[in-house]
Amino acid sequence: LLAAYVGYVGLGAAVLQALERPAEVQAAQHLLQEHWELLANHTCLQGPALQRLIEGIIQAYKSGITLQGNTTSLGRWDYSGSFFFSISAITTIGYGNLSPSTAAGRIFCIVFGLFGIPLNLILLNEIGQLMLLGVQRCACRLEEVFHWQNKASFLMKTCALVTGLLLFLLLPPLLFSEKEGWSYEEGFYYSFITLSTIGFGDYVIGMNADRTYPSWYKNVISLWILFGMAWLALVIKFCINLLE
Amino acid sequence: QVLMEAWEKGVNPEGNSTNPTNWDFSNSFFFAGTVVTTIGYGNLSPSTVAGQIFCVFYALFGVPLNLAFLNQLGKGLNAHLLTLERWVQKPGRAQVQLAIFLTTGTLLFLVFPPLVFSYVEGWSYGEGFYFTFITLSTIGFGDYVVGTNPNKHYIPVYRSLTAIWIVFGLAWLALVFNVGADLMERYLQLKWHKSDLSLAEGATTKLEDEPEQPRIHIPS
Repeated sequence: LLAAYVGYVGLGAAVLQALERPAEVQAAQHLLQEHWELLANHTCLQGPALQRLIEGIIQAYKSGITLQGNTTSLGRWDYSGSFFFSISAITTIGYGNLSPSTAAGRIFCIVFGLFGIPLNLILLNEIGQLMLLGVQRCACRLEEVFHWQNKASFLMKTCALVTGLLLFLLLPPLLFSEKEGWSYEEGFYYSFITLSTIGFGDYVIGMNADRTYPSWYKNVISLWILFGMAWLALVIKFCINLLE
Repeated sequence: QVLMEAWEKGVNPEGNSTNPTNWDFSNSFFFAGTVVTTIGYGNLSPSTVAGQIFCVFYALFGVPLNLAFLNQLGKGLNAHLLTLERWVQKPGRAQVQLAIFLTTGTLLFLVFPPLVFSYVEGWSYGEGFYFTFITLSTIGFGDYVVGTNPNKHYIPVYRSLTAIWIVFGLAWLALVFNVGADLMERYLQLKWHKSDLSLAEGATTKLEDEPEQPRIHIPS
């Protein structure tokens, strides 16, 4: 098993390297070009000053402030943003676009996670069991009505799988592309990365300062995350059972 | 604008020339590891469409593989504990076993590594501890990541050692969380007096259904 594990990670590394390296080189060259052009065109601008500005921008970006347009986008730690952050912490998604920078905030985050993560596991377990119960009840009813035997259970399971797939992975990206302006593929990527709790944070909903979101948006997304995670956990469990 | 695009692709704009790439094999290996363990720092993430699609399917098979692997590891750790206890020759009490397990694990995975990190990375102990916890719980914010400071020189095995530590620490912390969730569940059930009917129903569904992460029960 260890060999398979290490081999699998190595395989992924090789493929990703091959896929991502060219784009990165291109971006770096583009950046350098812009840098030199800027310095060349505006001779009043000094090299070190520009360097300092760049470093300042990076620091600010790391702590969550973006510098688009004429103002800075603040207000990320308002209640709604903090609520979303708490969810991302206890579900272990952990986007990271927003993370505590004060020592007190970090200590609180650790303690919060220590109790929040088991709580989250319990909740997901409950939701998963409810879902499974529902599926089995439907299967029983199908058996009564159509007098199939074992096939009903299998049919119900595939049906549940397909509905879950539609509801949690295939339809939400449509919503995201409409609200966030992402492509469908980016929305799908975001959905999967979120529901599997990997949560890179390169795409996060509701972070674009130029767009207005309806008030129900974040709450609906939170519900979707919860149920989607429970469903995906069930699917992964079945996969593990198959693996073993 | 260009700065942010470059940053998102993982290029560090602070240098004067194109820095050593972020997607060499060692870094990609580390990245693949963060995907499979669902830590997902995000300081590095695929920006090409092909990379993103590959990432999705890669995780689809990698995450169960990782869980199965951690499960095996957890069982192995558990077995180790049992042999250790027999060695001490105390009549097996679950509490004592649990206490030993918790303290050794805490020392080995939570207290000691931050010292190493603060020395190598130049973080304070508090920052090292914060990074340790956020990583082992797989939250993985990505505000702190080992081995990413371009100004520092790391010994080649540093990343591999960190990876090994992460894997074992994950197995241990997963055990801790499962035990914690178990205790919380029992506590909540006592409080809410679940009826016998739902318990019976739960018993029949438990054959097919297991908790989200494989639960490894410490035998009492």
